[in-house]
Amino acid sequence: MKTIPPICNEPETGPKYWRSLDQLADRPEFRQWMEREFPAGASIAPDGETRRDWMKLMSASFLLAGLGGVASGCRRPEEQLTPFAKQPEGYVHGRAQHFATAMPVRGSAIPLVVKSADGRPVKIEGNALIPEGNGGTDQFAQAALLDLYDPDRAHRHAKNGNDARIEAVRDALAEIAKTSAADQGAGLAFLAGRSSSPSRARLQALVAEKYPKASWHAYEPVDLSIADSAYSQAFGTPVHVVTELSKARRILSLDSDFLGAEAEAYRNIRGFSKGRKSADEAMNRLYVVESLMTLTGGNADHRLRVKPSDVFAVAKGVAAELGAAGGSAAPGPFSAWVKEVAKDLKEAGSSALVVAGYTQPLAVHLLAAAINSALGAVGNTVLLTQPVESPALGITELAAALQAGSVQTLVILGGNPAYTAPADLQFPVLAKKAKSVVRLGYHEDETSALATWNLSSAHFLEAWGDARIADGTVVPVQPLVEPLFGGLSELEVLARILGESKSSPLEVVRDTLKALGAGDESAWKRFLHDGFLTGSAPAAVSANLNAGAVAAGVAAYKPVTGNYEVVITRDASVDDGRFNNNGWLQELPDPITKVTWDNVIQVSQKTAKALGLPVKKVKGQTADQNPVEASEAHDGQYDQPVVRITVAGKSVEGPVWIQPGMAEGTVAVSLGYGRTATGRVGRNVGFDAYPLFNSTSRHLTAGSVEKVPRKFRLAVTQEHGLMEGRPVIREANLDQFKAKPDFATHMDLDAHLPHYVPFKTESDGRNQEKRPQNIYEHPYDQNPSTASKIHQWGMVIDLQSCVGCSACVIACQAENNIPIVGKDQVARGREMLWMRIDRYFSHDPSVDINAEQASEEPQMAMQPMFCQHCEAAPCESVCPVNATVHDEEGVNVMAYNRCIGTRYCANNCPYKVRRFNWFDFNKRETDYGAAQDQHLVNTGNLYKGPLGVNRNAEPEWEIIKLVKNPDVSVRMRGVMEKCNFCVQRIEQGKIAQKIKAGNSGEVAVPDGNIRTACQQACPAEAIVFGNLLDPESEVVKLKKNSRNYSVLGFLDTRPRVTYLARIRNPNPAVAALEKRTTPDTQRDYERFRHENPFEEKSHGHEGQKHAAIEAGKGAA
Amino acid sequence: MSDIFPKWTNKLPAMVGIAAAVLVPTILAGITYYFTPKYTRIGYQPKQPVAFSHAIHAGQLGMDCRYCHSDVDKSWFSNIPSSETCMRCHTAVVKDSPKLALVRDSYATGKPIPWVQIHKTPDYVYFNHSVHVARGISCVKCHGEVQKMDEVFHAQPLSMGFCLECHRQPEKHIRPNELVTQLDWSGEFDGKKAVHDWKVQPGISCSTCHR
Repeated sequence: MKTIPPICNEPETGPKYWRSLDQLADRPEFRQWMEREFPAGASIAPDGETRRDWMKLMSASFLLAGLGGVASGCRRPEEQLTPFAKQPEGYVHGRAQHFATAMPVRGSAIPLVVKSADGRPVKIEGNALIPEGNGGTDQFAQAALLDLYDPDRAHRHAKNGNDARIEAVRDALAEIAKTSAADQGAGLAFLAGRSSSPSRARLQALVAEKYPKASWHAYEPVDLSIADSAYSQAFGTPVHVVTELSKARRILSLDSDFLGAEAEAYRNIRGFSKGRKSADEAMNRLYVVESLMTLTGGNADHRLRVKPSDVFAVAKGVAAELGAAGGSAAPGPFSAWVKEVAKDLKEAGSSALVVAGYTQPLAVHLLAAAINSALGAVGNTVLLTQPVESPALGITELAAALQAGSVQTLVILGGNPAYTAPADLQFPVLAKKAKSVVRLGYHEDETSALATWNLSSAHFLEAWGDARIADGTVVPVQPLVEPLFGGLSELEVLARILGESKSSPLEVVRDTLKALGAGDESAWKRFLHDGFLTGSAPAAVSANLNAGAVAAGVAAYKPVTGNYEVVITRDASVDDGRFNNNGWLQELPDPITKVTWDNVIQVSQKTAKALGLPVKKVKGQTADQNPVEASEAHDGQYDQPVVRITVAGKSVEGPVWIQPGMAEGTVAVSLGYGRTATGRVGRNVGFDAYPLFNSTSRHLTAGSVEKVPRKFRLAVTQEHGLMEGRPVIREANLDQFKAKPDFATHMDLDAHLPHYVPFKTESDGRNQEKRPQNIYEHPYDQNPSTASKIHQWGMVIDLQSCVGCSACVIACQAENNIPIVGKDQVARGREMLWMRIDRYFSHDPSVDINAEQASEEPQMAMQPMFCQHCEAAPCESVCPVNATVHDEEGVNVMAYNRCIGTRYCANNCPYKVRRFNWFDFNKRETDYGAAQDQHLVNTGNLYKGPLGVNRNAEPEWEIIKLVKNPDVSVRMRGVMEKCNFCVQRIEQGKIAQKIKAGNSGEVAVPDGNIRTACQQACPAEAIVFGNLLDPESEVVKLKKNSRNYSVLGFLDTRPRVTYLARIRNPNPAVAALEKRTTPDTQRDYERFRHENPFEEKSHGHEGQKHAAIEAGKGAA
Repeated sequence: MSDIFPKWTNKLPAMVGIAAAVLVPTILAGITYYFTPKYTRIGYQPKQPVAFSHAIHAGQLGMDCRYCHSDVDKSWFSNIPSSETCMRCHTAVVKDSPKLALVRDSYATGKPIPWVQIHKTPDYVYFNHSVHVARGISCVKCHGEVQKMDEVFHAQPLSMGFCLECHRQPEKHIRPNELVTQLDWSGEFDGKKAVHDWKVQPGISCSTCHR
């Protein structure tokens, strides 16, 4: 036992060490050094001395500090623990709190539960308490957290570009209230985004009441509410359309990407996969008529590739077949297809559903309404409810009013109209005609330049609000933090302009909720706790279809004509530009193209050829191995030819992306890029497609395309789109599956492994069947006592449910502190995402692989890929420092502090799921999407090492640190990392259970208590994680499913992550038309392997198998 | 030759050898001891802003640890009590003591007391108090006999070896979980049985503590 040193009586100031270094440490020079060394951000040399003197002084001090300095280096810096003076009731330091809230999006909202760690929001999750909810979200909701901590967001209120105090802002708003009250709001105009908020609707009604001369305009560049207008017109009464995909057995999509780009995609995915999970007769069937390759098309059982303008003809054809209003026979090429589809829809009757996409004109939506009505689907799969949004004028009316000079004060609430308004309106010019523009915005951006007053907006996690979700249920928008930069909310600005006495957002919301029946304290608390208000959904509307209105609307429509049809879409990463400065989303590969950091012009291969783009083969690759034939590709860097699209005299230039499955003569561009005034993440990333946007035809128009003699380099995460006959994804049609339910285990070399079974419950959850000696030793074989007998973790991914939406990828990034690396590094294959969604295209193998048609009618399949947690892990045996090892519960874990960065493990991983920190991505600023010239030039801060910009030294970067999950280490340069099954969540779950157990043995965590981040975020419930030793657990049930298989199972790495084969549900009649009776991947497999998993004894000759056993024995 | 190498140099190899034999182990032993947490941490006793005595409160008065460190069984972090907690008693007991000036100040102004942290694991170690307390590992195992300390000092190395020692043989350290805060408890307890019955299986792989 050591002697306890005497209590030192030292002065209260200065660092105190228990050894007598104090004298030395207290020398002023040394203390300056100490202060400089330890607190982050203190990088300024002391005043009054030149740098040279400073160096001299320091070297002397260091010498004097001498031995003491060495010893004190062993001592950690002194840190303080500062408890509350008065601890808030119920607050437990270190224990995360969760709050129900919601993210408002375009006339709807996503219900959320947000985790707060010691007062800062660190993870956004979906609210599973919502009726029929499952906690799933979309990628935007997951990434919205990063926006909260965006260092580039508007930090200040500004008047004419100069800082303004909040008092001045309030005075200015009060002034508007005063003048408007006097002149009834003459000359006052509001421009706002769509909102479902009951409070905003109430305030909007108050505006109309108090300021009758004021006008209210709503504008969303990507509106997504065209179906509401169509149904309202068709049924002769204002309605809001809610589609119930879970009830639909036959679905026809008319260019609607309801699993990707449409409103409520997360909810649609939930419903769609619910109707598909069973993989039996009850499963739904999806027909898609589309021009672009989308997630929905990729998940379709039958996909009809047509030009956008032909969708109208197909819709009319279906309508005619079903006797719906507005129908007329489909033209020849589609008539057989249309006939069969209509027949199938008719059989399904009221459980059929037809949806049309936002890029399609109103006429197509009217037809969809008529078809649904004819099928009897309205009231079952299509619900009509009373609209929740207040009616408003559009932006065209505002432009006219501005032009006429009748707008004195323009109040812009959110949005960025200077960037997003249709080009023909010339909004930036018109806005200057207003005397004063008051603008509430999240960034200082293009619109800020027009604004007299630019008010900083609060994030939805910073201010009180309310909203309605898809079905109209009211949800709270509950803040978790005070506005970080004093931002105002829309409600507060409105309330102040109205001169309301109650102007705080909370008071506004409480008043609204009082009217909705949650006025008293207990109802309010329940509302906040559950995150929704029971029974607050608007009433259903019963109305009859007005066939005449439909027919008139259909007749009035003239399809676009032109050389090329141009489709302008919402982007899967940046939406309409609102998430432009979000690094997580910028670096999220597009679900289809896998392009990061850029938008592209998608064309089909034939169209590219017609455009005269250089068709250059990549050395050593055939055409369809690399779908971008017209490019030069080098390891993830694509030098793409550039084309110019011209619509109505305006043109944009961007890189071409040859997309399998695109309709001929069609070009597709996505919005939201090419921003000039935004933060450093989004600045000059991609090209701006808004010039093509005009007020009469927003999303679908016609124009000309020509090539431009230059190239543009893209960073793409997946180069290879073909499986080459390897059954990485195993698929079957429903009839094949019914005939041979275990086909998935009869594929690949696994089928030839003696006694191979993909899953068998053993005492430790492992498969202990006799098998040939594995080259990679299983840690539990070596030392069986290490294996836990309580928990063995495993996961199943249901490829049947997964649609590839990528919400899980961002969820993983947010949960596990994964940094972004910038476009340049992505192009070098150094992206850090632990999880990727592999997207495969396959084509009819009877078509020559090099032929143009090979990429015309692809089938698409998605597969989430991340660490497979092999039991016999190839990575572990090659690690020289045991930095990657198995834990007791079967998780292949990384000990970051042990890792010395040899990268042997990554080389030896057959799944390529390990990620290496080539740089200090958390410390050094990356190039983001920079280097817009032809070749990526290294602006190269990362490469400058210690000479580069250190984010941690700049105060402005302090904010970005707040996004980090405190339960996960932040990795530094030179360290390998990968999926670890959210080991922090596993440990937290186990700890919670052990605390509950106390002095009992009830330590096994009940199934479902531990959910990984990806599982939690998945709206399709495609990811199931659990304990393999619990026979009742969901994961064990799924592992026993006959569709269960391991990827690369023949390597005998025995992954803990297994997949359920995907079952397609084609209509035999349509399949016959398409001459596609087996999924393409299976046909490819049969072609390469000369074996058919659907035939008995297909996989082997007993003799061979016997030989294999013998070989195994020999090796043992 | 002898001009250059006098006779005594013949013994030089032996002398160097002996010196090395003595010096090298000494240096090695010095490094292994003086550079380890056993030396660098044990005994660390910073001056605290308030001269709070655990010996009086936990020892003489016999207060339960959890009266002040109330979150120890709920969170990974064992909270430092708020000034309000102190003032619950000290509005009545020794309420005018000058030693408590800072506490009274803090309570009045809401400014926290800047206690100096003594026990600290590195950032990449995710130690959790609550699970240890719930499963029969006493405070005294890591913090020493705090009830006898006037001012708390670092009593155990809290190194990885220290953690593993217990994780490998929990039966030697476990006690009835209702007695974890009785720091001077020394009763009989069948650790092996408890480990078996409670299914105590403390992990010894990396992921137990590092994430």
